[in-house]
Amino acid sequence: MLRASAAVERAGVPSVSVIASGFLKQAEVVAKGLGLPDLAIAEFPGVPMTYSEEGLRREVEEVLLPRIIDGLSNPQNAPTSTGIQAAPQPRDIVFRGTLDEVQEHFHRNFWSDGLPIIPPTPERVDRFLRFTERDPDEVIGMCPPANRQATVWNVAVNGVMAGCRPEYMPILLAVVEAVSDPAYKVEDAGSTPGWESLIVLNGPIVKQLEFNSGQGVMRVGKQANTSVGRFLRLYLRNLAGFYHAPEGADKGSIAQSFLVALPENEDAVAEIGWQPYSVDRGFTAGDNIVTVQSVVAISAPAYSQSEHAIEHARLLADVIGERACGYWTAVGMCYANWHPLIMLGPSIARVFAKDGWSKDDIRKYLYENVKIEASRAEYYAYAVGLTGFRINDAVKQGLLPPVYHESDDPDRMVPVFQRPEWIGIVVAGDWGRNQSKGYVSNHVQGPPVSRKIVLPKNWDALLAEARR
Amino acid sequence: MTARPTLSEAVYDVVWPLGKPAYDTRSPNARVADLNNKVIGELWDYLFRGEEIFPVLRERLKARFPGIRFVAYDVFGNVHGPQQRELVARVPELLKQHEVDAVISAIGA
Repeated sequence: MLRASAAVERAGVPSVSVIASGFLKQAEVVAKGLGLPDLAIAEFPGVPMTYSEEGLRREVEEVLLPRIIDGLSNPQNAPTSTGIQAAPQPRDIVFRGTLDEVQEHFHRNFWSDGLPIIPPTPERVDRFLRFTERDPDEVIGMCPPANRQATVWNVAVNGVMAGCRPEYMPILLAVVEAVSDPAYKVEDAGSTPGWESLIVLNGPIVKQLEFNSGQGVMRVGKQANTSVGRFLRLYLRNLAGFYHAPEGADKGSIAQSFLVALPENEDAVAEIGWQPYSVDRGFTAGDNIVTVQSVVAISAPAYSQSEHAIEHARLLADVIGERACGYWTAVGMCYANWHPLIMLGPSIARVFAKDGWSKDDIRKYLYENVKIEASRAEYYAYAVGLTGFRINDAVKQGLLPPVYHESDDPDRMVPVFQRPEWIGIVVAGDWGRNQSKGYVSNHVQGPPVSRKIVLPKNWDALLAEARR
Repeated sequence: MTARPTLSEAVYDVVWPLGKPAYDTRSPNARVADLNNKVIGELWDYLFRGEEIFPVLRERLKARFPGIRFVAYDVFGNVHGPQQRELVARVPELLKQHEVDAVISAIGA
């Protein structure tokens, strides 16, 4: 909302922004990152979604209205603050102390995630920089809402802090390239659903760096999976300003913790004659690829049993489709962009392949067979706060396909998955069990964005040296 | 809270984990001294009951400033929806076209 207000102010017109009480701190960080720290704010008291009709009107008339008039008319709401903020240079020593003192300093400045960090000394950062040929000062992108510059240098600094090994640096750079792509909308990574970024890895680098793609793949514990996952949360905290209330811009209402990196089991994929997930994302099999996407919820473990693919498809449609994705599809419809991901256990993928099913066949089945009443989807969307959303309007605007408005029956069934090609499928997990899981994405916030991992020319030698 | 360092404890020189701010700071525009006879633009993110809030605001502002006029939110579209960037980019042009003097932008953050 404040981005629209900033566009108004830049066009030379005064604005006042209505912000609900619980969003004031987030608004402060966003406004600062937009370069307009003194944007006029009119606080709406409390939670608009919990007022009665009469109560809402009363609050608007008695509390909000005077604040809006003041915000638009009071000259004190246009102070003169201009300039550029000073910042330390990359190699400046900002603190000197023992391990305990460093931890304390970082905690107090909100530079840590509550876990101990490895002190980012220049020497440690340099060890990471050996694993890239890029200039440390290169600006990779911007990290809104705090709107700080993502650089090769600060990727390495946060990689050190997160407990990564120096040889993970090419992956860290690709991850930051992906999340700083404007398409990822990282500025919304602090929205109330509290979504997390999931890193999916493909390519030979998975084995080279000893990532776990098998049993317990999403469990904290393996250094590579864990520290790379932690890195991204730490990076977004420090660069985008997503440390949580009351000090930061993270407005995740209940939220979740960081997700460890998810590498695909490409041996299992090759064995059944499928192509890896990276090929679905437009790359060549064998490329080292990072894909980052949002995850707002995870399904229950979906245990499916049968020698026939159709039985597994039915179970996935039920547990992952209707139960996990069915609720959040409404929000996906509002933003006409939604990319749920299914992690298929290797044994399940094998049954599908043996029965002649491709990944596209699974997607098609889910698209055609998982549905929800239009009225229920609209109710869910309204309760989230998307009070202006109507499915029929979205179809008229071309945001949803015509299949969503084939009749005016409010209880007509509409697809949960907007497009079959938007369902991601990754093979990973326990080969000795019949389990899959669904990862529900947060619509236009955090759609899948992929980047190639660029290795330095002397990668093999550097890696051998690092592993000695 | 932190224990005093002993002679055998290592000391670390550490660097800054953040990045340079990528923005210049500016102040908001001058306010409108009197809202009477002014044109107010409405920007809405189609969230949090704006469809109920804006009509009340219009009614009460009109009662207090009789000459006030409004450019309704549907002229600007959903500035938080799937076409957010395109619609926000169009805001300056629409403000000019409708000769808007001030904007109420709602609701959220």
